[in-house]
Amino acid sequence: MGVPSLMEKAVINDEAVQIHLQQIDKSFGEKTVLNNLSLEIESGEFVVIVGKSGSGKSTLLRLVAGLEEATSGQITFNDKSIKDSKSSATMMYQDSRLLPWKTVLNNVGLGLKGNWKDQAEKTLDLVGLLSFKDQWPSTLSGGQQQRVALARALVHKPSLLLLDEPLSALDALTRMDMQNLIEKLWLSQGFTALLVTHDVREAVKLADRIILIEDGDITLNIKNTGKRPREFSDVSLVQMEKKILEKIMKS
Amino acid sequence: MNNKIIPKIIPWIIPIGTVIVWQIVSANEWVSTRLVPAPFTVLTSFYHLVMSGELFYHMEISLARALIGLLIGGGIGFILGIANGLSKFSYLFTDTSLQMVRNIPNLALIPLVIIWFGIDEGAKVFLVAIGVMFPIYINTLHGIKNIDAGFIEMGKMYGLKGWALFKEILLPGALPSIFVGLRYALGIMWITLIVAETIATSRGVGYLAMTAQQFMQSDIILITIILYALFGKVADLIAQWGERKALRWHKSYIK
Repeated sequence: MGVPSLMEKAVINDEAVQIHLQQIDKSFGEKTVLNNLSLEIESGEFVVIVGKSGSGKSTLLRLVAGLEEATSGQITFNDKSIKDSKSSATMMYQDSRLLPWKTVLNNVGLGLKGNWKDQAEKTLDLVGLLSFKDQWPSTLSGGQQQRVALARALVHKPSLLLLDEPLSALDALTRMDMQNLIEKLWLSQGFTALLVTHDVREAVKLADRIILIEDGDITLNIKNTGKRPREFSDVSLVQMEKKILEKIMKS
Repeated sequence: MNNKIIPKIIPWIIPIGTVIVWQIVSANEWVSTRLVPAPFTVLTSFYHLVMSGELFYHMEISLARALIGLLIGGGIGFILGIANGLSKFSYLFTDTSLQMVRNIPNLALIPLVIIWFGIDEGAKVFLVAIGVMFPIYINTLHGIKNIDAGFIEMGKMYGLKGWALFKEILLPGALPSIFVGLRYALGIMWITLIVAETIATSRGVGYLAMTAQQFMQSDIILITIILYALFGKVADLIAQWGERKALRWHKSYIK
């Protein structure tokens, strides 16, 4: 599980899932949140969903995570229903959700069986926090806590990593650090990644494809083939950001 | 140097001063020593009680009653709290009844308990058990219900269910609240025991006090009162120690 220095996708991950959402409706009581939404996500692709608060972007992520069920429509992983597929999806939340009564290492090892300590330590090393393994989570900074949460998500060797605004509570510098880290680990492990954010620049920096959701449906679906790592000195990236922001503001 | 020692001395001025004044008052017989025995008399009686083995004979049974009552009542309260925290059905089925029974002061049951159990051990253990059950029940239930739903969702996402979910998330999450219940229950445990032992019994610290009353031995009565105070303090210290051990992760205990 080494981290390559080159910023090209180094790994083809055979396990990475391909996701197919077909005509998804989701309503909570009277309120329709997602309206006849269809989307295909390639195996190993990094898809970022942007949208205003209440647009339904987080609900979409929770449907893919299997935490909610669609009112109608179908979601398949590698052409199998979520329940039948043996894909291992893990999730990072806006709050780290580290268990305060477990040490950092035991948090990373949560749910692992057998001889897990080596693997957990290696993964903790990947996020640069091995020396913190015996600390309580509450003694860590917000950014460090999210790193541990990332390690916890990665130690399961996920075929799909779901990220629900995991960086929105961090300060700007820490956020940039984390974006680079997530990109690096995605490049080296090749899982499918689905990130929800309201930060358009973050989307442009990380995504292979950017999806804009407004009022429960997709209103923009842009491929982003910019070379990684992406710098915002690149005019085409700035234009892409501008285009998305304009579309969001118009509605 | 003075700054370090003085704060340690100040809290003891009143207690030690009281004992000194008390000794002076008794020695000069300003009040009857039959009512207020001198500190020195109390100490001497204490020494005789210890040496004759009488004190431990009574302490032994009092401690046993307290502990057995705590284990039975606390155990039932804990199990009910867990069950009602996890199962909606169990909660609907039992909580209303428990709340009704909880509002009866356990000492009001004494006349009935004497008819049921007579004056043997069962009566005291029953009263203690009933008294400690509710604080532990309520705080365990509260602890389970107040666990962040995000933790449970996260745990399930990472494959925890059943016993693993309970052991890794539910129980540790409820533990701070359970300890609050335990410390509260310990207080009730001693109060119940003190009253129960003065009513009808032939052994125990409370019995010692009642007999002393009949013979006007105010020194022995004072000893039993001090004993109860010590019991309470020691029990709370043990509970605090357990709390510190079990909740090392808690923000109140991280240095």
